[in-house]
Amino acid sequence: MAIIETKDLTKVFVLGRNREVTALNKINLAVEEGEIFGILGPNGSGKTTCLKILLGILFASSGETYIMGKGPFDLTMKKEIGFLPENPYYYDYLTGPELLTFYGRLFEIPPATLRSRVEEMLRLVNLQDVRRLSLRHYSKGMLERIGLAASMLNNPKVLILDEPTTGLDPIGCKETRDLLVDLKKQGKTVLLSSHFLSEVERVCDRIGIFHRGVLLTVGKLDVLQQQYKASNLEELFVKTITEFDRQHPVA
Amino acid sequence: MKRAWIIAKNSLQEALRKKTLYILVVVALVVIGASRLFSFLSAEEEMKMIRDVSFSTIEFFGALIAIFGALGAISTELEKRTIYTLLSKPIGRREFILGKFIGQSMILLINYVLMCAFFIGLLLIKKSPPDIETLKTLILIYMELLMISSITLMVATFASDAFNLVFSFFLYIVGHLMSYGRQMMERTANVIVKGLSDMLYTLVPNYENFNIKDKVVVGVKVSWLYVVQTVGYGFIYLAIALFLAVYFFQKREV
Repeated sequence: MAIIETKDLTKVFVLGRNREVTALNKINLAVEEGEIFGILGPNGSGKTTCLKILLGILFASSGETYIMGKGPFDLTMKKEIGFLPENPYYYDYLTGPELLTFYGRLFEIPPATLRSRVEEMLRLVNLQDVRRLSLRHYSKGMLERIGLAASMLNNPKVLILDEPTTGLDPIGCKETRDLLVDLKKQGKTVLLSSHFLSEVERVCDRIGIFHRGVLLTVGKLDVLQQQYKASNLEELFVKTITEFDRQHPVA
Repeated sequence: MKRAWIIAKNSLQEALRKKTLYILVVVALVVIGASRLFSFLSAEEEMKMIRDVSFSTIEFFGALIAIFGALGAISTELEKRTIYTLLSKPIGRREFILGKFIGQSMILLINYVLMCAFFIGLLLIKKSPPDIETLKTLILIYMELLMISSITLMVATFASDAFNLVFSFFLYIVGHLMSYGRQMMERTANVIVKGLSDMLYTLVPNYENFNIKDKVVVGVKVSWLYVVQTVGYGFIYLAIALFLAVYFFQKREV
């Protein structure tokens, strides 16, 4: 059974009188336990909308979503997941350890365990030397890293990462990739959304390509490349999107 | 409720570090202190003036703190998108709203206690220690401020900051003029106007119920029964406002 699942997930945004945008159109996604699944797509293709509905931040217009067999508002499910939003913002008056402690308390992690876990996370993302700095002085890359730490604080079974390498330098990107591979070895499931094709190529077991609210294709990279006669992910990406646009021209 | 308390402490920590509401308290303390300038009056008149100015200042600036505090409680989380990470954690939307209200109540209480302490200090300097009627007045003012805070928070769950600000101030003014307005409307023969007036009187919180300073300042005693009944009236509005806040926020896409 898939650990993350959507069934005919549809989301329609009503923008005004007689104006609707279908952000997601009957998405059927299944992420297996222990895999790293990458979702790709141009801006506005529905990737972030899909992730937000999985987490109960947005509401589906129709269809269902499940993580570990539980709906998006189930608090026991949320105890077992971690989320890193796109362009993360946090409480700028807090320091890194204070932010992690705040989130840790929401997970009801016991105080002694929480203290050691916070230290462990700070070391993991290399922010232990700036523990007294408030988040308003953090760079974009530092915010991504503290966000990553916050998403792993509760030792989640499932991680949902929206553009996890945005704002990171090449070393930071490599460290994130290594971290993802390590998480997979620990048996965790990762669903990540990314624009960086090279990152996705290197770490993901399977990918899904979104475009205009539709999940165009899903599968292992080598299989899809064969299917679409593409030599690499970039070519596959462009071919699938171009083919869809040709068959469904924009009105 | 434990998670609501964690949200509340976070809100309090934010307010204490950002210091934005301190400005209002400082201005309030200056105004209260300025009431000492009425020393040219007789001792009795001076004390009346000090009490009157202080009660009014505490109430008005308390209302400003309640409105501006509650206004930013939810909108800041939405604008800064900190709500996304928060809602991905094991916290329900009801706990979030209750936590925000508890946090705002604590911020309001700290500022309120500062202003009251300054006022009481002034009374002690003037060798006119506060009496039980002063305590009743301050209790009712704080209850009124909690009501204002809860209603502003409720509106914040579905409306913009600009609308909420105008609406909250409008409600504050109307809430204090309700009784006078109703007395005037009772003289009209127009059934529709009377009906509208009755409806408004039922729906709009009557903040003037909490205003006993005019009586207390001239030495009139107010019964504890009245205080308890008025506080109960306040809690009913507060409960309805929080219920609606939770309802609206549960329907809201962030």
